[in-house]
Amino acid sequence: MKMCTVVTGVVVWAVVGWPQGIVAESVWMPSVQQQFSDTTYGCLICHAEKRRTFTMGIHAEHGMRCHDCHGGDPSSFERGPAHSGRFLGDPDKLETVQLCSSCHADANQMRQYGLPAGQLAEFRTSRHGRLLLERGDQNAPTCTDCHDAHTILPREDARSNVYPTSIPATCAKCHDDAAMMEEYGIAVDQFRQYRESAHGKAVFERANLAAPTCTGCHGSHAALPPGVSEIVNVCERCHVLVGRAFRQGPHDRATRDGALPGCMGCHSNHGTEGVPPEGIASLCANCHAPDSRARLVGVEFEEQIVRARQDLAAAEYALEEMAQAGRQVSDERFRYRTALTSYREMGQVHHSLDMGRLEDLGRQVRSDTELIRATAEAEAEGRWERKLILLPIWFLALSGIVFAWFRLRELER
Amino acid sequence: MIKKWLPQFWEDLRTSADAGLLGVARFVGLLYGPIDRNLRIDEAWRKALRYRLAEHVGWRHALGGITYLLLMVLVVTGVLLAFYYRPSVDEAYPSIQHIVSEVSFGWLIRDLHLWCANLIVIVALAHMARVFFEAAYKPPREMNWIVGLALLGVALAFGATGYLLPWDQWAYWTVTEVLDAVALIPLFGGLLADAIKGDVIASGATLSRFFALHVIVLPWITLALVSYHFTLIRRRGLAPPMTVDDGGRKWWLSGVGVGEQPHGGRPFFPNHLLRSFGVAVLTLAVALTLAVLFPRPVGEPANPYVLPNELVSTWAPVDVSLALIRFTGIWGLALFSLLGVGLILLPVFDRRPERGLRQRPVAVALGTVFFVGFLAAWLAGRQIRSVPPSERPQPEVVGEQAEQLQELPLPDLGPTPPVPNPEDSGRRR
Repeated sequence: MKMCTVVTGVVVWAVVGWPQGIVAESVWMPSVQQQFSDTTYGCLICHAEKRRTFTMGIHAEHGMRCHDCHGGDPSSFERGPAHSGRFLGDPDKLETVQLCSSCHADANQMRQYGLPAGQLAEFRTSRHGRLLLERGDQNAPTCTDCHDAHTILPREDARSNVYPTSIPATCAKCHDDAAMMEEYGIAVDQFRQYRESAHGKAVFERANLAAPTCTGCHGSHAALPPGVSEIVNVCERCHVLVGRAFRQGPHDRATRDGALPGCMGCHSNHGTEGVPPEGIASLCANCHAPDSRARLVGVEFEEQIVRARQDLAAAEYALEEMAQAGRQVSDERFRYRTALTSYREMGQVHHSLDMGRLEDLGRQVRSDTELIRATAEAEAEGRWERKLILLPIWFLALSGIVFAWFRLRELER
Repeated sequence: MIKKWLPQFWEDLRTSADAGLLGVARFVGLLYGPIDRNLRIDEAWRKALRYRLAEHVGWRHALGGITYLLLMVLVVTGVLLAFYYRPSVDEAYPSIQHIVSEVSFGWLIRDLHLWCANLIVIVALAHMARVFFEAAYKPPREMNWIVGLALLGVALAFGATGYLLPWDQWAYWTVTEVLDAVALIPLFGGLLADAIKGDVIASGATLSRFFALHVIVLPWITLALVSYHFTLIRRRGLAPPMTVDDGGRKWWLSGVGVGEQPHGGRPFFPNHLLRSFGVAVLTLAVALTLAVLFPRPVGEPANPYVLPNELVSTWAPVDVSLALIRFTGIWGLALFSLLGVGLILLPVFDRRPERGLRQRPVAVALGTVFFVGFLAAWLAGRQIRSVPPSERPQPEVVGEQAEQLQELPLPDLGPTPPVPNPEDSGRRR
């Protein structure tokens, strides 16, 4: 509303002020509004409603105007001549790709903005691009379906459709449409799964913009699901230490032989989640026979990790108890952090299935947490012993009261 | 040598010392009644011990004495705590940890201080109730009722300022809550809250103010008021038993017995002193037991940026307000406070000589509601673990910025993703 009034006011002011020679330079005004208050720009006579959406975008900020994309003659005030010449009224999907890439595929033009120029090349390799460019499939998205036609915002802008927290909803516009996806045999529950996943929670609940959205794994312009052989590489880009451990273990060989779908052997794709410690052994049973050696190793793994977690929980409780009693616990807290680091390392190392290292780390967790618990126990015992002071207190008090009582009775008889 | 020197010293002392010095002993409750300053100090002492109290002085009159005993315990433990406590944002919390875990018997001193602060409010109110129901506040003793109320106010101020000193999350956020509530008082509330805080939030400035009030300003006010309270008791005397008409005499002298009632009443020494001793020992034992068995936990260090998960209140008036707000709403608290103010103003209006309970049903009914209500609310409030308010205004986008944001149709990130209409799924225009 406010902006509307401002723009109207500026238009009125410009109409009145122009003949008198009062020009806009003398007064501060946002450059974009100044530019669009120009009454000599013919497009606005009919398409006034597009002005507002367009001026919010990054293109208007850099001085682009309607005719830069749509062509025609903006100096004419009538429909016929205005829509003449090189004119592109309402570009279809394919024309949109051509139109955008006429600038955005040109590295010479993009350099000044620090933008990559490879989007078109990437788009050609994507499933979206192949459907649109090769088959002319009208369901496939074109540039404007994700970036909007007029309000095109940089991806750093939180209002943008391609801001990290908005990307899942942008993709879901089509990928949640069961009727449309049926044609391509694609499931439609990715968005629901993602929102429940560790990644989704990081993005939506903790606003962790470093966590991957759809494009983090699938790519944006080159969108494609990673192949089986690529999964480990994709996950490893963020989970570096887990990936390193995985590559030292037998599951990596199985993946390379094509027997195991990499990380997805144990974790799911859109609903990515950590496997809870007590679920490890049953997960192994999905592939390994119940009495096989591998299965027994899984049980041992589970025991180690569950035990370490219990140790940590007990240490945390002991810490809390000591802090509440007023003890300075910075040493113990530091020790707890050390134990926690070892525990987290267990979570990485066990991907290599190296039992020896896992046991070492488990021992470290145990020794650190045991020390905290022992300290807390000694403290609690000391606090209990303090209560014994009540014995002499009440002995003295009762003797005093009894003495006073008998003495009084004697006196008042 | 010593055998000769000691009696000489004693002789010098008793001939030179002023009998008025016995006022000190009287101030702490070891003597009673007027001190004859014409006598030598030892004779004045012996004479004072021979005084008798009025016959009707009973156990119920001990409540005032218990309040005073608790005050003395608070002074002693407070001084001991001040040896170790450091009133600054950086050091307050660690110094409490130090007191509780490293100083010998620091934990006992601290919890004794805390429990006496609780008990003093309860016992002072019980004392007030006794005075109220016995109509001892009626002329000529109305001034002492006012002074007593001022002392209650001072006790509450002591508790309120002491509450912040541990500088942990519970202390910090309870004080913040209370100051926010103070700021809501019309007209002067905001100014008052700012003056108390000395900063835009409760901070180091607030801590310094509260400490100075707690250990410098309030103790002197207390000393003055307590002295005046005792003087008035001696001047106006204790109220006579309710069955006796108070109208005829100007006042009932309490510390008498010398001339007027040579054999009536109860001897101060040793009878009354023995009773005081018994009560004092019992009070101390109860306070110590509570302190040993129910220590105040040390919360997390105060952090203005993080709300605690729950607030644990540790002081009777906070418990009472909590319970009243929880069970009767904010208007219940306001009404209850109004009732309290009504009781304060009672002596101004209620000046008739009737003293029997049946002759003043309204006052008795109001008093019962207040005192019983306070006790019930205290016991209920101790069970409440309040959650700090989530309605605290969070920083949000306001004004022009918000309007601009609303102008763009943003994709909805709510519980369900926007399911596009198949007709416009291809094109947006």
